[in-house]
Amino acid sequence: MTEVIVWDGWIGGIAIGLYAIFQVWLTGKLLGVSTGYGNLCSFTSRLPFFHRDSYSQPNNWRLWFLIGIPLGGLMASFTSPESLNLSFSLGDMYNTVIPKPIWLRGLLLTLGGVLIGYGSRLAGGCTSGHTITGVSLLNWPSLVASAGFFIGGTVIVQVMFNLLV
Amino acid sequence: MKDKILFLPLGILFGFLLSRAGATTYDFYAQLFLFQDLQLLWVISVAIVVGLLGIGLLKLTNFKALVGGKSIDFKGKPYRPSLIPGAVLFGLGWGLAGACPGTVLAMLGEGKLGAIFTIFGIILGTYLYGWQVGLRMDTKPQPSADQIIVKPDIIS
Repeated sequence: MTEVIVWDGWIGGIAIGLYAIFQVWLTGKLLGVSTGYGNLCSFTSRLPFFHRDSYSQPNNWRLWFLIGIPLGGLMASFTSPESLNLSFSLGDMYNTVIPKPIWLRGLLLTLGGVLIGYGSRLAGGCTSGHTITGVSLLNWPSLVASAGFFIGGTVIVQVMFNLLV
Repeated sequence: MKDKILFLPLGILFGFLLSRAGATTYDFYAQLFLFQDLQLLWVISVAIVVGLLGIGLLKLTNFKALVGGKSIDFKGKPYRPSLIPGAVLFGLGWGLAGACPGTVLAMLGEGKLGAIFTIFGIILGTYLYGWQVGLRMDTKPQPSADQIIVKPDIIS
């Protein structure tokens, strides 16, 4: 697995907070990621949901933002001392609770993804749109959503690491 | 809307910073929810405080966006009945996959190939929601052969 440079948490927080301000200052668009996954559906699905409101014009800023993020990850690994390393490893901790066979690992990660995708659409946003942007705006539904995110995360991780192993 | 191209370098910058912040490191998610290492809680809470100050300043000065010159819309996302169950489901996925919608894309760029499955799942979950909304809202029959072909690894 690629080992990347990690800054202290508070420095990372300042950097991401400044990024969020910089984006809205430059473009007038508030930071948010999960809505953009619907743009990807717009290109392959004829369901009406993916062709109205936020998705009436799927080739929009969200799509380009989504394309940029992996390139940023690539840059982050190229600028780290260890070279890029393609791997299905999930790191020391998750490797102990998520089975190694690729089909089972893939199935669990896909299930996690389905929960993330479906849940964020039900909630109307994710960790960036609700937690970072929404709470910064002192928007109370975003605060409620963020509490829900942390409750769900704590429940599943406590169960995985304390009951299954 | 030519300024959408601007979001390619912005996405690159965001992805890079997510990685440096540790948000693409699986272990930090497990350690966060086991209360062993609060790296990501620091990242999130400091980012919120910085965002709060910055957005307050932009609001106070009634700043117009540099590109396009429009006033900035600071309206937050609305409450809805599905918000709490949706948020908890999201949290379950967040802890299970050790990633969220933004960070998983940066993980893919770092060569963490498990991200391919998670990204595929997120697209599938998003599609599931769109399909469900269609069932509820449209009285007209759905077009047939409404199959989705998903390409999870959008760049590699």
